[in-house]
Amino acid sequence: MPSWFSKVFKSEPAKPEPVQVPVREVRSAGLDLSGDRPVPEPHAPRKVVHAPILKDAAEQSGWSPEIRIKARVEKGNRACTFLLDRPVLEGHSAWFPHVGAAAESPLAQVLFAIPSVDTVLIHGYTLTVARNPTVFGDWDQLAKEIGSAIRGHLIEDRPVVTQAFVAAIPPEETIRQTIQRVIDTEINPGIAAHSGAIRLDRVEGNTVYIEMMGGCQGCAASDVTLRQGVHEAFRSALPGLGAILDVTDHAAGTNPFYNQLPAGMR
Amino acid sequence: MPRLDTFQISVKTGARGVDALPRWIINGFSVDFEDVRGSTRSGDTFEATGSPGSFPHTLLLRGPDEGAWDIEETRITYYPNGEEPYTVRLGAVTLDTESDLNIWYERPQAVFDL
Repeated sequence: MPSWFSKVFKSEPAKPEPVQVPVREVRSAGLDLSGDRPVPEPHAPRKVVHAPILKDAAEQSGWSPEIRIKARVEKGNRACTFLLDRPVLEGHSAWFPHVGAAAESPLAQVLFAIPSVDTVLIHGYTLTVARNPTVFGDWDQLAKEIGSAIRGHLIEDRPVVTQAFVAAIPPEETIRQTIQRVIDTEINPGIAAHSGAIRLDRVEGNTVYIEMMGGCQGCAASDVTLRQGVHEAFRSALPGLGAILDVTDHAAGTNPFYNQLPAGMR
Repeated sequence: MPRLDTFQISVKTGARGVDALPRWIINGFSVDFEDVRGSTRSGDTFEATGSPGSFPHTLLLRGPDEGAWDIEETRITYYPNGEEPYTVRLGAVTLDTESDLNIWYERPQAVFDL
């Protein structure tokens, strides 16, 4: 039992009377809330505010003079996000689940040529690269190799994606309707048993922003639901989809990535 | 995420302070701080310890019951069970009678230059 529990529930439940007392009365006495047992939060619900996370000066330094890239290994150690000082892809995002899907992205092809690169997501100022799940250990060497490949590609001013890739991206309205249909017919009926729900927040280009509600909000398993359920359902229905971003305020401060970008990149 | 044994919090108050000592809220339950030092008056620094001994679903610093509380900076050091402690620093924010401050942050992922 956590130590704060005894501070919250200061009084012991009343002891049941011995033998003569009927069972119903004993239970009633045990659950009596009329004493000094505290009631959770008597106040009206308040809104939860988030203060900006401050970074140490050391975290802001050390940029490369050509193209500044920082790497951040994501939770679970399978993926690493590369943060650049300039947009990599503007107006759209691009998801490449394997090398075969990267024919229209010269940059993704360069990255897939690096052994153990498994998937590539390009969005705004970032590239998120996942490595093969059978590879373990730290990211230092692989991240340097990937960072060097990204820098070399961009310095040479080579295209990130081809015109054909951009032309094949579905219109926003098509994306909105398709995603809404998947949410209504596949996802929400499935997670309703957990009192959860997904809401389409908005579509920008081919990037989809969703919000997790009800039992999903703040749930420790929400990330698994998102990646293994929602992502797969969306991408199966709409192969041209780019990034899928969770805008949920999980009241735990983990909402994504954009809260934690180094200063100057926000 | 391992169990959070304790956390230490340091709050530097800005222009508008409050008289009452703040409380912290874990998973909806309001709890007193321990080892309280300093105050939340204007210009002062408040330091205290919380002992969740549990897995926080939400961890909040309760806003004042009256008035407004200008916080210049908050520093929280977390002591997870069996792991190295880590610290998160938060910038300026103002709390009022209708707001709480989120103070639950998992260990920041390492960022390195390439």
